[in-house]
Amino acid sequence: MAATSDSRRSNLQQLTTLEDIQKGLQNLCKEEARVNEELVVLLKQQPDMCCLNSMVPNLQMINNDAAQLAGMISFTSTLAENISSKVRQLDLAKSRVTVCMQRVEDVWDLKYCTDGVQTALQDEDYEKAAAHIHRFLSLDENVLRMSADASEGSTLDTSFKLLHEAQNKLQMIVHRQFDAAVHCGDVASVERFFKIFPLIGQHKEGLAKFSKYLCAQLSDMADKNMKTALSTCAGDKRANVIFADTLTLLFEGIARVVEIHQPLVETYYGPGRMFTMMQHLQKECDRQSRKILDHFRNQRNLEMKLQQVEQSLYQRTLSSTEKIEPKELDPLMAEVTLLNARAELYTRFVRRRIMNDLEVATQNEDAKAANKEEVDKLITTCELSRQMQELIGNYIMMEEYFMHEMVTKAVSLDLIDESALTSSMVDDAFFIVKKCVRRALSSSSIDGVCAMLNHACSILEQDFQEVLYARLRQGMPSGFDFSQAYNLVQSSLQFGKLQSSDDETQKQKTAFLTTLNNADVSCEYIQTLKKSLEDDTAKMYGHVNDQGSAKLQSCLSDLGAVSTRFTDVLEFGFSQFNSGVLKPRLRPWLDAFLSVDHNITEDDFSNYEANDPWVQTFIVNIDNFLITFKSSLTSGNYDSLIRHLSNEITTRLEKNVMKTTFNRLGGLQFDKELRSLVGYLTSVTTWTIRDRFARLTQMATILNLERVSEMLDYWGPNSGPLTWRLTPAEVRQVLSLRLVLSSCCFTVSPCALIGRRQLLLYGVGLILFLPAPSLVGDNFSSMGWG
Amino acid sequence: MEDYKYLFKVVLIGNAGVGKTCLVRRFTQGLFPPGQGATIGVDFMISTVEIDGVKVKLQIWDTAGQERFRSITQSYYRSANALILVYDISCQPSFDCLPQWINEMDMYASTKVITYLVGNKSDRVNQREIPAHIAERFAQQQDMRFLETSAKEADNVKRLFLEIAKELTQQARDNEICSQYSSASDLGATDTSPVGNFSCCKGF
Ligand SMILES: Nc1nc2c(ncn2[C@@H]2O[C@H](COP(=O)(O)OP(=O)(O)OP(=O)(O)O)[C@@H](O)[C@H]2O)c(=O)[nH]1
Ligand SMILES: [Mg+2]
Repeated sequence: MAATSDSRRSNLQQLTTLEDIQKGLQNLCKEEARVNEELVVLLKQQPDMCCLNSMVPNLQMINNDAAQLAGMISFTSTLAENISSKVRQLDLAKSRVTVCMQRVEDVWDLKYCTDGVQTALQDEDYEKAAAHIHRFLSLDENVLRMSADASEGSTLDTSFKLLHEAQNKLQMIVHRQFDAAVHCGDVASVERFFKIFPLIGQHKEGLAKFSKYLCAQLSDMADKNMKTALSTCAGDKRANVIFADTLTLLFEGIARVVEIHQPLVETYYGPGRMFTMMQHLQKECDRQSRKILDHFRNQRNLEMKLQQVEQSLYQRTLSSTEKIEPKELDPLMAEVTLLNARAELYTRFVRRRIMNDLEVATQNEDAKAANKEEVDKLITTCELSRQMQELIGNYIMMEEYFMHEMVTKAVSLDLIDESALTSSMVDDAFFIVKKCVRRALSSSSIDGVCAMLNHACSILEQDFQEVLYARLRQGMPSGFDFSQAYNLVQSSLQFGKLQSSDDETQKQKTAFLTTLNNADVSCEYIQTLKKSLEDDTAKMYGHVNDQGSAKLQSCLSDLGAVSTRFTDVLEFGFSQFNSGVLKPRLRPWLDAFLSVDHNITEDDFSNYEANDPWVQTFIVNIDNFLITFKSSLTSGNYDSLIRHLSNEITTRLEKNVMKTTFNRLGGLQFDKELRSLVGYLTSVTTWTIRDRFARLTQMATILNLERVSEMLDYWGPNSGPLTWRLTPAEVRQVLSLRLVLSSCCFTVSPCALIGRRQLLLYGVGLILFLPAPSLVGDNFSSMGWG
Repeated sequence: MEDYKYLFKVVLIGNAGVGKTCLVRRFTQGLFPPGQGATIGVDFMISTVEIDGVKVKLQIWDTAGQERFRSITQSYYRSANALILVYDISCQPSFDCLPQWINEMDMYASTKVITYLVGNKSDRVNQREIPAHIAERFAQQQDMRFLETSAKEADNVKRLFLEIAKELTQQARDNEICSQYSSASDLGATDTSPVGNFSCCKGF
C-alpha cells in the first residue's frame, strides 16, 4: 500500500500538463468509489465475526465429548472382536459335525448298498444293483477307511470287499448280457445294458461295445447297398452315379445312427462323449467307403483312363486319334465331383456334431482349441478324406486335360459367321471354361476349385489369347477400301473373272476385325465369368474358414486379371490397324486442307459458304469409312476406332494448321470447319470428342481474334474456367499464323510487372502481355516487327 | 489397407516333411510350430516386407508334398514369381527327388521365375546326409540360387525371403523402365510387336 502511494506521489510529480492532471484526478475518484464499496462489504460481515467469538467455549466442550466417544468405540470394537472369534470357532465345530454326519450317512449307505446289491443281483435287477454300485463308487473309500475302524475283518472292511466283488460280478454280467442281446438282436436289451455301463464306471467300454454293435449294423446295410449297386443295369437312370449314390446311402445311414443314439449317449454318458463314439463309427465309415471306392475305380476303369490322360497331357507328340477323347471323361468327372461333394457334406456333419457336444462339455478356451485340433486331425487324416483327396487330385488332372483339349478344339474349329461380330471360338471357349470351373465348384473342394481357376487362367492366356495375338499379327490388309474393292470386283466381272485375291483380302479383313471383336468380347466375358463365379462361391462356400475364402478370393482375382491380357491384345490390334489402315486412309483427306486458302476476302468467304472447299468432303469420306466398320465392330471397338481416328485427325490437322496462314476471315472459316467436324464426330459416338479437340479449338479461337489485345481476355488471370492445352510458345506460334495480326505491332511491355489495366491506361493498345515470366525473356521480335 | 507397391507370388515345393510349412511359419509368424501336421492341399499366407523403403507384399503358397496333391499344387507354378524347392539335408531321398521336381518346374513354371534350392534342417548337424557343397554344385548346374536354412533355429529363413523380395522388386523396377522406354518408342512406330504375355508382377 505504502509503496503504491509512494509511487503515486512520485507519479504526481510527473503530472505536468493539465490534461494529465485531470486524468490523474479522474483515476483517483474512481479508486475512491471502489474503496468505499469494499468498505461497505466488510462492514456488513462484522456481525458474523462477533458470532464466531462467542462460539469458542463451545468448541472446548465438543472436543471433550469426542474424546469420550472414541474411548467407547474402541471398547466396543474389542468386544466385537472377541465375540466374532467365538462365532468362528462355533462355525468350525458345526462344519465338523456336518462332515461327521456325512460320514455316518456314508457308512450307513455303504451298509445299505452292500445289502441292496446282493439282493438286487439275486433278483437280477441289474439297474438297481448298478445304482448301488454307482452310489458306492461316488464314496471316497480311503476317507471312510480312515474315519472308522476298517481293520481286517471289521464290518466296514467286509462291506468294501463285498461291494468290490459285486462290482466285478455286475461288470461281467453286463458285458455278457450285452453281448447276448447283440447276438440275438434284442434291441431293447442292448439299450438296457448300454445304459448300465456308465453307472458302474465303464463309460469307455460301454461306448466301444455299443459302437461296435452299431458298426455291425452299418456294415450289414452297406453290404446290401453294394449288392444293389453292383446289380444295377447299365441303362438305369442312376447308373452313371451309382457309386456316389451308394456312398451317400452309407453317409445317410451313419447320420441316422448318430441322430437316433446321440440323445441316449448324452443322457446316460454325459456331454463330451460323442467324439469317442464318432471315432469308432468313422473307422467303419472308412472301411465301407474304401470298399465302395474300390468298386468305383474298378468298374469305371479309373486307373486306365488316368494313365491315358496322363499320356495325352504330357506326350504332346501324340496324335489326336491316340489321345483319349475328352468327352469320354464327362460322366466320370461328374461322378467324382459328386462323390467328393457328398463326402464333404458328411465330414461337415461329423465335425458339427462332435464340436457341438464338446462345446457343452468344455469351458476352458485352451481345451476348446485343443479339442478343435483333435477333431480337425480326425477328419483330415481319416481314410475317407485321404481317398477323396486322391480322387480330387485325379479329377483335377482329368479336368485340366478336358478343358485344354476342348478349348484347343474350339479354337481349331473356329467358324466366322458373317452375321455375327465374333467367331464361334469365343462363345465356345468360354462355355467350356465356365462348365469346367463350375463342375469343380460342385465338388465342394476348395483346393479343387482353386486349381481349376489357375488352369483356366493358363489356358485362356496360352491356348486362347495367344491365338488372337497370332491372328492380329498377320495384320489388316493395308489400303483396303470398300469402294475400291467394289470397283475391282466390277472391273474383274467385266473381264469375266473374279479375282480370288480380292476374296482373300476380304476374308483377311473380316478375320482381322472378328479377332478384334473376339478380344473385346473376351474381356467382357472374363469379367462376367468372374462375377458369376464369385456369386456361386458366395452361395456354395459361405461356410468355409478364412483361409479357404482367402485362397478362393486370390485365385478369382487372378482370373479377373486375365482380362487385362486381352486389353493388351486389343491395344496391339489397334496399333496394327492404325499403321495399316487408318493412317494411309486419313492422310490424303487431311492433307487436302493444305490446298484450301485461308487468307480470303469477303467474297471468298461467302463463296466457301456455298461451295465448301474441304470439310464437307472430309466428313463424307470419314463417314463412308466409318460406315464400312460400324456393322462389323462391337460397340466397344467402334468407339475405340473413333478414338484412334480422332487422335489421328487432331495430330495431323494440328500440323497442317501450323503450315497454313490465316487472315481474320480465314480464321473464321477454320472455326466453322472445326465446328462441323466436331459436331459430326460427336454425333457418331458416345465418346466425348470435344475434349480431344480442345487444342484445335483453342487454335481456332486464337486465329479468330479481331485484335491481339483480345488475347488478354483469355489468357492468364482472365482465362476463367478455360484451361489452356497449348503452351505459351504454341500460342505465339499460332498467333504468328495470322497475317494481319503479325504485321501489326507486337511488343513486350518494358515494365512487365505493371498490371494489365495500367498498361491499357498507358494507352498501348496492342500489347500482348502474357504473364508467365519465362515468356518475357523469350525472343518476341521474331514474331513482332518482322 | 492395400498400401503396397508390388505383389509377388512365392510358391514352396518339395517332398513331404522337409519343413516347408515350418519355414513359412517361421518367416510369417516367427515361431517353430511343435507337431506340425502334413499340409493338406495348399496353404496360403501373406507377408508384407519393406525393400528400400518400398512396401512389397509376398503372397506365399505353401504346397503339400504328398504325392496325391501333386495335380493341385502344379496348378500354382505358372503364376509364381519365385519358386522355392526345399529338401531336407538329413534325408537323402528328399535330395534324390530333386530332378523330378525340377522336371515339373520346367513343365509348368514361367520361364522368368526365380528359383531357389533350399536345404532345410541345417541344425541337424549330426544327421547330415547331404554335404552343402554337393547341393551347391547341383544348384549351380540347374541355374538355381542356393541356401541352407533351419526353420527350427531361425537360420537364414528371413534372409531367404528377403533376398527373393529384393530380387523380384529389382526385376519389377527394370521392367517398368523397360516398358516406359518401349511405349515411348512405340509412338509412330509402324509395326509394334506384342508385349510378352508373362504375368505382370505389379500390385493389382
Ligand atoms: N530339426 C528340424 N526339424 C524341422 C525343421 N523344419 C521342420 N522340421 C520338422 O520336420 C517335420 C515336417 O515339417 P513340415 O513343415 O510339416 O514339412 P512340410 O514340408 O510342410 O510337409 P508337407 O506339408 O507334408 O509337405 C516337422 O516335424 C518339423 O518339426 C528344421 O529346420 N529343423
Ligand atoms: Mg506342409
